[in-house]
Amino acid sequence: MDTKLTEVSQLLDRFKAAFLRNDFDSSSNLLSQLKVLLTGFRSLPPLFADTPNAVQELTIARDIYEHAVVLSVKIEDQDAFERDFFQLKPYYTDARNRLPQSPQEYPILGLNLLRLLVQNRIAEFHTELELLSSTALENPCIKHAVELEQSFMEGAYNRVLSARQTVPHETYVYFMDLLAKTIRDEIAGCSEKAYDYLSINDAKQMLLFSKDQELLEYISEEHPEWEIKNGSVFFQKAKESAPCKEIPSLQLINQTLSYARELERIV
Amino acid sequence: MATTLVSSAGGMLAMLNESHLSLKLHALSNLNNLVDSFWPEISTSVPLIESLYEDEEFDQHQRQLAALLVSKVFYYLGELNDSLSYALGAGPLFDVSEDSDYVHTLLAKAIDEYASLKSKAAESSDDSIKVDPRLEAIVERLLDKCIVDGKYQQAMGTAIECRRLDKLEEAITKSDNVQGTLSYCIHVSHSFVSLREYRQEVLRLLVKVFQKLPSPDYLSICQCLMFLDVPEGVASILEKLLRSENKDDSLLAFQIAFDLVENEHQAFLLNVRDRLALPKSQPSESVEPKPSDADSTQNAGVNGADDVPMVDGESASAVSVPEDPSEKLYAERLSKIKGILSGETSIQLTLQFLYSHNKSDLLILKTIKQSVEMRNSVCHSATIYANAIMHAGTTVDTFLRENLDWLSRATNWAKFSATAGLGVIHRGHLQQGRSLMAPYLPQGGTGGGGSPYSEGGALYALGLIHANHGEGIKQFLRDSLRSTTVEVIQHGACLGLGLASLGTADEDIYEEIKNVLYTDSAVAGEAAGISMGLLMVGTGSDKANEMLTYAHETQHEKIIRGLALGIALTVYGREEEADTLIEQMTRDQDPILRYGGMYALALAYSGTANNKAIRQLLHFAVSDVSDDVRRTAVLALGFVLYSDPEQTPRIVSLLSESYNPHVRYGAALAGALIAMAMVMVQISEASDSRVGTFRRQLEKIILDKHEDTMSKMGAILASGILDAGGRNVTIRLLSKTKHDKITAVVGLAVFSQFWYWYPLIYFISLAFSPTALIGLNYDLKSPKFEFLSHAKPSLFEYPKPTTVPTTTSTVKLPTAVLSTSAKAKARASKKAEEQKASAEVASGPDSTSASSAGKGKSSSEKDGEAMQVDSPAEKKSEPEPSFEILTNPARVVPAQEKFVKFLQDSRYVPVKLAPSGFVLLKDLRPTEPEVLAITDTPASTTSTTAGGSGAGLQSSSSAMAVDEEPQPPQPFEYTS
Repeated sequence: MDTKLTEVSQLLDRFKAAFLRNDFDSSSNLLSQLKVLLTGFRSLPPLFADTPNAVQELTIARDIYEHAVVLSVKIEDQDAFERDFFQLKPYYTDARNRLPQSPQEYPILGLNLLRLLVQNRIAEFHTELELLSSTALENPCIKHAVELEQSFMEGAYNRVLSARQTVPHETYVYFMDLLAKTIRDEIAGCSEKAYDYLSINDAKQMLLFSKDQELLEYISEEHPEWEIKNGSVFFQKAKESAPCKEIPSLQLINQTLSYARELERIV
Repeated sequence: MATTLVSSAGGMLAMLNESHLSLKLHALSNLNNLVDSFWPEISTSVPLIESLYEDEEFDQHQRQLAALLVSKVFYYLGELNDSLSYALGAGPLFDVSEDSDYVHTLLAKAIDEYASLKSKAAESSDDSIKVDPRLEAIVERLLDKCIVDGKYQQAMGTAIECRRLDKLEEAITKSDNVQGTLSYCIHVSHSFVSLREYRQEVLRLLVKVFQKLPSPDYLSICQCLMFLDVPEGVASILEKLLRSENKDDSLLAFQIAFDLVENEHQAFLLNVRDRLALPKSQPSESVEPKPSDADSTQNAGVNGADDVPMVDGESASAVSVPEDPSEKLYAERLSKIKGILSGETSIQLTLQFLYSHNKSDLLILKTIKQSVEMRNSVCHSATIYANAIMHAGTTVDTFLRENLDWLSRATNWAKFSATAGLGVIHRGHLQQGRSLMAPYLPQGGTGGGGSPYSEGGALYALGLIHANHGEGIKQFLRDSLRSTTVEVIQHGACLGLGLASLGTADEDIYEEIKNVLYTDSAVAGEAAGISMGLLMVGTGSDKANEMLTYAHETQHEKIIRGLALGIALTVYGREEEADTLIEQMTRDQDPILRYGGMYALALAYSGTANNKAIRQLLHFAVSDVSDDVRRTAVLALGFVLYSDPEQTPRIVSLLSESYNPHVRYGAALAGALIAMAMVMVQISEASDSRVGTFRRQLEKIILDKHEDTMSKMGAILASGILDAGGRNVTIRLLSKTKHDKITAVVGLAVFSQFWYWYPLIYFISLAFSPTALIGLNYDLKSPKFEFLSHAKPSLFEYPKPTTVPTTTSTVKLPTAVLSTSAKAKARASKKAEEQKASAEVASGPDSTSASSAGKGKSSSEKDGEAMQVDSPAEKKSEPEPSFEILTNPARVVPAQEKFVKFLQDSRYVPVKLAPSGFVLLKDLRPTEPEVLAITDTPASTTSTTAGGSGAGLQSSSSAMAVDEEPQPPQPFEYTS
């Protein structure tokens, strides 16, 4: 092992220790140093140079980025998660033939799917899903995310919320909490369309709040346009959205006909 | 490489968001490698990368890297402007030597941008347009790299386009073959630099570089100097060469002089001549003040007032008492070079050549004559025109002399043109010109019974004879003009004077012609208008405005037309300088002036292929309300594009499909027949079978009784042009050094007016230039000298003369030609060797020997020898050899030039490796006696006929019997 690799692995050990201590500040710090050190390895993506220590280097780099992803979840930083995940991804996709599979691969992929679900980026979610092999789809971590998405789409929001109890990995909890918020937004959007008003009690139940106080806070934060009077929540303002514009069919027909006439004349 | 390894650039893009600087740098440099395959992915992150470029915290290198990356992405997105501006931001990271599409595209873009900025800055001549220094740096880097890599031509082209004369100079001086690059540069500056001023700048620089060389190429320098109009420079170079001890240097000086003469810039040549210092033995005259243009020509005019070749006389008097031997040598050389510069020598040699090599076919004329109806005056005069053109410059007027009765049918203007035709035939016959025409000239005001038409025609003829070399005749023409009030004579005198003093801008003459113009007579005024233009050709003087004003005043359409053309002539070759005038003319109410405006465009931009001019002409060709203007616009396109013949059909092809017959006419230039003839001049049947068909088609039209008169006339003229100048000339608008031949262009422009005024047809003779290689020794004589034409002789031989069986009807003529020649060939292939040889000799032009015909001339012996040497060797192997030996002076048609080679072990070595024209020969064995090729000059005994009396007639016919010299035709009486 050459000195650089040794240095990295020593640093990684220190990082892991700090990580286990939940000392996030120092672990973030160490992680940043590690990343800079990694740029010195030519065997890493996108170069994939065939250096003698390529396998070790790739393995260690993958390990670092896996930890980085988990760390970002722990410090609840979604941007960092996205950043680290994208840097990790080449190790799963492009380095597949060079390295043995990482045990962390499926949990982290599942985590990413969950993140997309939370951020309501459904299209990207499905894109990611398409890239996975059938064996990967069997994996409980992935399966969990897929089922969540299905429930989410069906509108079976209670199933989504109950799934929080069956998370396959402890890191998923963070996203499950976020997911509850996403679901509440969805419900609120639907209620707006479906009802003119709801009683506070019904609204509380509908939006899955346990206390009136929480409901009121949510309304003032997310939907200040909702009105609360006489113990009910009124959505009518949202309904005032402009009616569908009438299509100016006559004008269009006239125009098209004149185009056709002119075209005839030119030819 | 990256493509196979990574499936996405997402990782790297994510890394750009990292907070640590070195991570961003790492990501940037990796992305820079990946961008070629992953630009679609990266393009979504461009704003992020842009912000990195603008980030002040970043160090220079990283920002430049970011800029380079953005630039590449923009390049792939097709946003070249953005791409270029970021590439500039990338500074040194943008590697001009990289061999990639990206770099090539951006470099081209950068150069375009830079060139357009520079030229804009130069045109508006204010400093408000600032060129981005980074852009400049890139272009400079590119130029430096080209120079270092030895791509000098590329560097020069770019430098010229970017107006970086400093770099141009550097490229030339650093190149390994300075002479070659210089000549390339001259070529480039002529063909691609469309702005006249800038071209002059380039040429000035070239002259500077030239002069720094250890062994300057004086030929090229002088060409440049001529373009720049610096007669002093040329004169000093010539003087230096003439004073040199080395005989070769003076040969070179002679060669320079010939090359300059070829460009036909009369005023310039006269200037050079007058600036050559006289020998030191006469100090009083050598310090004479340098005269201005007008003065110098005036002097020359006075000196040469009598009819002898005045240059010889002048220099003879100047060389009266030489004391010093070197001065004596100089004086001798000086007299020679003055002769050359005045054009005397070359005209004389051309005359000799055309005379001795005349192969025109009288039978064709005879056929035409017999077939045209007697009473049809249009065809009658067309035949006379055809004859004149066919024999242009050969001095052979046999046809006229044999057909005096027929000729006398010409009346009025036909008589005018018949007489003027003599001028074409005797073109360049400077010494005897006046005595030849004497019988027809106005007889000193006494009105000796001569018709004014023939008198006017004679004056016109004198002008044609002396075109562009008219010092000797100017005074006489002026006197004639002054002493007459007959408008026909005025017409002839004006045309003659204009031709003789072409481009000299002589004020006095101008005033005199103006007086004629102000008489407001339609016939004389028209000629005066054209004549003023001829006089002021290419001067761009403000006389044009005067003419324009008068054109508005007068009522006569003819005068307006003459003036319009005249104005157009004054702006010849002035390019942008003429724009105001052109604008004024093209916006005029009067279609005739707009028509003149088209000609002005054509002449001002002739041969430049200037885009602006083309655009304007095309615009007028389709949008003007007058058919005349439209036709002329198309015609003018031909003038603008003549140096670029490949392009012309492409531009004109669309117009030729126009529904407007006038536009089609213009596209075809005077109907397909004449245009075809111009194209086909001097292409032999062997090299292009279409010529044969075309000739037969012409013949058919002429003979067909039911054919329209106009097309008959066209056909007659076309056959004249086809065989122009005894089949030894061609229409050439560019000299060999790519300069415009001013006389030729002007001649053709006026020729194209013939639709309105037939006598103007003769102007085409100005455009004729002999297709010959004439080798000259130190004494300016042509020695016997052989060279090789590396092509089948039949490709370039003269067309076979038509052989008419006298008894049969002439209609069968074409088939008769074919069958006899075919039979002759068949016979020749069957029979034995000797018989073949004899058949060869019998069939004349079939002979494989030298092309000179040798009709009992001194050269015939040599031809015979050459034939004997050549033919037995050739006969054995193949019927036609792949080369032929030509003897000086020889006919070398343009298509043949590339086959001409000089023999290795020849006694003479040419000073300049030119395949045609006048070539000075260096004698390697000066001790041996020289054998001269042609020594005979036409018409040496004509002085006796000057009286135009019956005695003169007799003496001329007796002289004919002795030495076959052509004589002036007998003075015939018109029976009008």
